[in-house]
Amino acid sequence: MLTANSAVAVELKGVVKRYHELVAVNKLNLSINVGEIFGLLGPNGSGKSTTLKMMLGLVKPDEGSITVLGKDVQKDAVAVKQQVGYVPESPRLYEFLTGIEYLDFIGDIYGISTEEKKNRITEYLRALQLEGREGDMISSYSEGMKQKIALISAFLHRPRLLILDEPLNALDPRSARIVKEVLHKLKTQGVTTIMSTHVLEIAQAICDRIGIMYQGKLLALGNMNELRQMAKLPDSGLEDIFLNLTGSADLKAVVEELLK
Amino acid sequence: MNWRNILALMHVERKSGRLLRGVKLTRYRESGFFAYWPYWVGLAFGVGAGLLAGLIYSKTILTEADVMLLFREGTVSIFLTLPTLVLVYNLVFTMLQQIQRSGIKASSQVPYWLPVTWEEYTLASILANLLGFPLASIIFIVSTIMTFSAFSSQLLFASITSFAVLGAAFMASALTEILRILQVRFIGAVYKTSGRAAVWVRFFGSLFFFLAFYIIYLYVTSGGAITFIQTIKSTQTTAWFIPFVWLGMMLYSFTSGLLIQGSVFLVLSILFLAGLFFLAALLNKQFGLYEPPAIKISRGAYVPRTGFLGKLGFTATEAALIRKDLRAFTRRRELMSVFIIPIVLILVQVMQSTGSTMATPSAQVFVYLAASTFLLPSTVTAISLGNFMIGEEGQAIWRIYASPISAKTLVKSKYFFIIFFSVIVLAITGALAFIVYNPSLRATIVAYIEALFLICALGAISLSNGIKGADFTEIPRPRMIRLSWSLINLGICLMASVAILAPFFPFALSAMLPETVPNLTLEAFLNPLLALAISAIIAVILTGIFYQIAIRNARDLLTKTEI
Ligand SMILES: Nc1ncnc2c1ncn2[C@@H]1O[C@H](COP(=O)(O)OP(=O)(O)O)[C@@H](O)[C@H]1O
Ligand SMILES: [Mg+2]
Repeated sequence: MLTANSAVAVELKGVVKRYHELVAVNKLNLSINVGEIFGLLGPNGSGKSTTLKMMLGLVKPDEGSITVLGKDVQKDAVAVKQQVGYVPESPRLYEFLTGIEYLDFIGDIYGISTEEKKNRITEYLRALQLEGREGDMISSYSEGMKQKIALISAFLHRPRLLILDEPLNALDPRSARIVKEVLHKLKTQGVTTIMSTHVLEIAQAICDRIGIMYQGKLLALGNMNELRQMAKLPDSGLEDIFLNLTGSADLKAVVEELLK
Repeated sequence: MNWRNILALMHVERKSGRLLRGVKLTRYRESGFFAYWPYWVGLAFGVGAGLLAGLIYSKTILTEADVMLLFREGTVSIFLTLPTLVLVYNLVFTMLQQIQRSGIKASSQVPYWLPVTWEEYTLASILANLLGFPLASIIFIVSTIMTFSAFSSQLLFASITSFAVLGAAFMASALTEILRILQVRFIGAVYKTSGRAAVWVRFFGSLFFFLAFYIIYLYVTSGGAITFIQTIKSTQTTAWFIPFVWLGMMLYSFTSGLLIQGSVFLVLSILFLAGLFFLAALLNKQFGLYEPPAIKISRGAYVPRTGFLGKLGFTATEAALIRKDLRAFTRRRELMSVFIIPIVLILVQVMQSTGSTMATPSAQVFVYLAASTFLLPSTVTAISLGNFMIGEEGQAIWRIYASPISAKTLVKSKYFFIIFFSVIVLAITGALAFIVYNPSLRATIVAYIEALFLICALGAISLSNGIKGADFTEIPRPRMIRLSWSLINLGICLMASVAILAPFFPFALSAMLPETVPNLTLEAFLNPLLALAISAIIAVILTGIFYQIAIRNARDLLTKTEI
């Protein structure tokens, strides 16, 4: 359990991850508060997925330390994982199971009681419009349907921390909206969410704070107002701030060059 | 046809073998020489073998003329059978390859959005199936006969044979391609009609397919290489109307001096090759994009089940893992082959004992057969399950990493699964052995208990190595365990089985050689019960040690490996 004074859900201190000569994450310091929805933004290959994986111990940092829910992810792995819901980027599920068998498996892994398991699975399947297909093998699902199953399996055990890598990938607008609402609702219950995303409107709409990564470093961190000040673009939206900070503001020339 | 497209498609296929677990490369460097090492090895061995045979030949040529004649005749008759021989083993190899890959959609998916025609795709697919071992062996054969024929001045004949061998390999691969497409289409139709029973239809259908295939293979090769070649030679001429032996018939006609007949078979072979290719292309055009309909396993409201695993004392997590693996092994075609191994082992036994050479097997052989029917199939099941249990998770392994599953839980559920299935196999094969060989009750009980010891110990050993050497690569086929670790495992398992069975070697000896080691004098100083006890102690110690090693390896896997 969390001690009363630690309102920090995840803390990264001087985290470095190298893949041979490539530095994927470079001296990252980050502290995410309990009950916060935190958005991780950045161009492709900027180190978002690697950062999220390190928070769950799926990738080991070369330097630095990571504390999740007051525990060391390496030492207390099982206890941490019990409290976390994780959706990887393009999740590979057990394709030979049906949707319902997969969720049943997840329920058992996290030790949810039979009655709870039944209620929650049925509700989520209905909410995300998977009814009628839950008895089919996952190998026949579309990308969006697989993403829904992965999301449900992250929510199912009521975790205290959600780590979502591009959670709205391949989702239809209605389901994306539902996921957004669910995250909001969970926030009121004190659940912390850390997500990476490409969809800037969503980040702008639901994230309390946003971190912009570039080449493994945190370029900017703060809420929308703070980011605007940082980029010296007082009235702009996230897209302009993002492009300004990641040094890709002058896109016209790039496009001209492409279509020459 | 655009040859550059075909080459490009084949390159993709070749490079798909690059993914290896644990190798994190930011840039792939590849030396041209080492990338093609199987072919260089094939060439080196081929030239070596050809040189050796050639030198022996040129020695005899000077001394004994009749030996030389025999030598030449022998070569000719081997050359004659080569196309059919190459056809058969390439067919076996490419079919097995298809089965292994059947679980992976990505590798067999047609890149239909690319500007590639179906003919180009089909040709690339047929040729790519021959890359690797088939091509290396063809290079070996061709380089052997070409080198040798330089000594025996049969160069022209050897070159024609070489082309025939290439044609035969192409025939085999094209036939595999045709069967693959038809199979996918056929399976789809079966799913549609069988509805919810589709999983079981598929399971037993696949088992049946494997079995039929193995029986044919065993039947063809049971007599060893020489008989096989003789069989081909004798049946080839009587089965001349079967297009697959036309290449062999062409060679036969040429050596018999029937030039016109030979030319006819040559033309017929080329036409048949083209026909196979166009049929494959046509089928691909028709069904290449076909995907079997989804298998619907359950309908209606969701009712969670507690199941009997819970009653056995397993926690919910352990039971869930076991249930998931049970489904994996009954639903994933590439894993079903595990069940085939014990059946094939039994088949081999039965074929040997009913073989015409041993109408009434002697007592020694009898004891050996009975004992191995008891011990072998279940033990092999334990070893192969142990090897695959972790690696079969494949790319979905992140699910295990991200879940609150401890190393102990993981090993416990995987180990139970291994023991569970091996014991089922033991029960069946033991009953069979009892019926067929009818050993004494005492021997039966001892055999059952010893088999159980072997299953427990070898299961733990194989699991520990299966975790250590786990390979989650799935493309172009699920690897499950690295080759080096499966070999290490085999060595350890062999030593462990010798250790466990050692107390019974004197008894086996006395049963096989009753004159040298009479049973009565033996039992005076080694009681069978004592032997059983010693064996039990060794088995328990080995099981305990390797179970702990398995847990340690699992802990390493869960904390150290990255995905
Ligand atoms: N297993 C790996 N091996 C080598 N390089 C990797 C591996 N995983 C990630 N990288 C590299 O690390 C960098 C960051 O990747 P990632 O965290 O996935 O980026 P993002 O999610 O922001 O798009 C990329 O340059 C990527 O190529
Ligand atoms: Mg990413």
